[in-house]
Amino acid sequence: MIMRSGGASSSGAPLANNEASLPKLELTDIGRDFGSFTALDGIDIAFRTGEVHCLLGENGAGKSTLCNLIFGVHQPTRGFMTLNGAPYAPNGPHAALAQKVAMVHQHFSLIDELTTVDNLLLGRKFGLVDRKAEAAKILALAEEFGLDIKPHAVVGDLSVGQRQRIEIVKCLMQRPEVLILDEPTAVLLPDEIEALLKVCADVAARGSAVVLVTHKLAEIRKIADEVSVLRAGRIVARSTRPAEDMNDLTTAMIGRSGTGGAFGVASLPPRAPHARSRMVREALQIDGLSFFDQTGARRLDKVTLTVDQGEIIGLAGVEGNGQSELGSILAGLDHPSEGRWFVGGKELTHAKPRAITAAGAGIIPEDRHKVGAVNAMTLADNLYLNQTKSLTRWGLIDRKRQTEGATSLMKQFDVRAQGPAAPFSSLSGGNQQKAVLARELMTPNLRFLLAMNPTRGLDIGAIEAVYRSIREAADKGIGVLLISSELDELLAVADRISVIYRGSIVGTRMASYDNRAAIGSLMSGTATQ
Amino acid sequence: MTLELFMVFVASTIRLSAPLLLAASGEYVSERAGIVNMSLEGMMLMGAFGGAVATAFTGSPYLGLAGALVAVLPIALLQSVLTNTLRANQVVTGLGINILVLGLTTLGYREIFGSRSREMIAGFDPISPPILGDLPLVGTVFYQAGLLYFAILMVALIAFVVSRTGLGIMLKAAGDNPHVTAISGTPVMAIRHGAVFFTGAMAALGGAFLSIVDIHTFTEGMTRGAGYLAIVAVIFGNWRIGRVMGACLLFGAATALQFQLPAMGIQLPNALLIMLPYVLALLAVAGLVGRQTAPRALSVPFWR
Repeated sequence: MIMRSGGASSSGAPLANNEASLPKLELTDIGRDFGSFTALDGIDIAFRTGEVHCLLGENGAGKSTLCNLIFGVHQPTRGFMTLNGAPYAPNGPHAALAQKVAMVHQHFSLIDELTTVDNLLLGRKFGLVDRKAEAAKILALAEEFGLDIKPHAVVGDLSVGQRQRIEIVKCLMQRPEVLILDEPTAVLLPDEIEALLKVCADVAARGSAVVLVTHKLAEIRKIADEVSVLRAGRIVARSTRPAEDMNDLTTAMIGRSGTGGAFGVASLPPRAPHARSRMVREALQIDGLSFFDQTGARRLDKVTLTVDQGEIIGLAGVEGNGQSELGSILAGLDHPSEGRWFVGGKELTHAKPRAITAAGAGIIPEDRHKVGAVNAMTLADNLYLNQTKSLTRWGLIDRKRQTEGATSLMKQFDVRAQGPAAPFSSLSGGNQQKAVLARELMTPNLRFLLAMNPTRGLDIGAIEAVYRSIREAADKGIGVLLISSELDELLAVADRISVIYRGSIVGTRMASYDNRAAIGSLMSGTATQ
Repeated sequence: MTLELFMVFVASTIRLSAPLLLAASGEYVSERAGIVNMSLEGMMLMGAFGGAVATAFTGSPYLGLAGALVAVLPIALLQSVLTNTLRANQVVTGLGINILVLGLTTLGYREIFGSRSREMIAGFDPISPPILGDLPLVGTVFYQAGLLYFAILMVALIAFVVSRTGLGIMLKAAGDNPHVTAISGTPVMAIRHGAVFFTGAMAALGGAFLSIVDIHTFTEGMTRGAGYLAIVAVIFGNWRIGRVMGACLLFGAATALQFQLPAMGIQLPNALLIMLPYVLALLAVAGLVGRQTAPRALSVPFWR
């Protein structure tokens, strides 16, 4: 059964289980504004002891904001919360922790330079510490929940999954009554996800209310006792029998009938299958590329990949399997230890970024803030960053031509800003990304486009616009390598999908939803070709 | 070099590294908490001046030490407020403070000591610890000022606190990642303020060592870059207290060579010898580039 907010029963209490458990934490008419932007509005929700309550929603739906309100990072603009029936208004994380509300953050709050034990003791002990005894206590607690941790290892040397377990132990040390996990599975491998879900269930079974934020439906099906769906800062649906209501929940989440496809790209028309013919030249050719990082660890292992002109190749993989390194090499920021690579037949193995641009490669970097654009300069400056020369006469920039060009680019790519002279940092994430895309697509003699996670942090509209532009580029004969950790987006946009696992390409499949499971198992390393 | 001469060299190495050791162990704490306390030089100079003035007026070197600690307070407060509360650039504020203190102490010196600049002030006599001091041959090495033994004690104490207590974990955490540290409930600001004040106190004692223990008077700009050397010692020691101590001894030895080489009949231009510790520091730091593990948030201001 599913209830829509605004209907008759919007009190927040599900009909079933009403007597089974009273709410541990209850939110009533909670709202939060950031300036003129309303992140959350009219939130009524109850979390019960012994239950795993999933918050479902797309990026930007307000899930993280809601968690931050409960954990005291932000304070609600409207409404009130009660914990065990008493008013609950934490003015900071300390206050929340003092009342046994703990949170596992999306970004870990661990200090890389310290050991596991020291991280867990940080802020708890002031005087003498007996690390041996503390380690024993921590191990005992970790084992109680089946969490495998290394107490004396330096956190910076550990894998993401290991760090997350430390983070969870850190919360469990408080014996929390409410445990919030903000998208804990986004960074994990499939078997790690299984283990984590089990831990969530265990924690709930031992008398905590667990709040699990996610946008993965499979996890909800497995574990959720109750689901609330957030969209645009409001609760749009809730269910106490999520396994049965899956389709309705999906529909509610994306606000249009879901096809199981990716949000924002589902409305794109299917692309005509790319006809491979011998006449087509390769846009990008990567030949046996290996890369060792500063510590000597192998990050890329003989990667061989070809992108034809007019083709979109998706590179799928769980983050940290070498995608960043490959991206850095193709952007000219790093050079491969072995192997060679070419754009349009021109070898660029040891080329500098300028030469790579000159060879007709457009690069949309992973981190648009750090590498993709100069925040302190204007939008127009950023749009012409790689072509400043074409606008200069005797070393002076022709501002008039720059402004005219920028204005027409803004129109063409729907970059919304106050004007070409607006500081780049004043643009929203989506518009920033569209501007970077516009700049890279305007690269003279463009043959090849590398797009790394181009839709990260963008809303549906922007995602659609970005992929529409990328497809148009491919239709014009440009070869595109699309690196993303969102498999559904790749399935919707790409022609073929190659999977990278531990630095090597472990398989290539046609981009079709029928191949979704096969690609997924390739990503997790459980299947080989 | 005869054995006696060598023992004199060792003894003077230790004596000359004492002010560096006091200041550097203070700076170590500060940098562990994430603050480059560039005003170390000024703090030392202020301590030397405050110590000399208090001793000259009271006749007691103990009150002189107290005077040094009091005199450095406003400097430490200024540094701490500028870098922590107002989040100013740590290097720039430090250099500014150094120039300010040089001016202040020079003015104060001329006003207070102007007419009696030749006068000596009371000082500490070296002490000879029981047993160690009676050892044949090496006994002379232990014939040192009590403040030196205090410095060694402080190094041991700092090493213990940093590696074995919760406070030490907080200190390191505040220097590596203050935001995460704050989330854990640690009062990062208080730790950073406290670290600067601790550094101030240690630097003041180091400065007082120069004026009260070493030469029994104050002269203009008498620290002559000892504060900067102490900062280099922390970098050279790769932010580990044991190695920092070793670096201080090395710089002390280089200074001691200034006096030792002429005694051994080796004639080098005096200017070259005075340069020696600084050249050594430069080489040491240049050779260490890329192999250092500074606290990650070193010199990065913290705010919520």
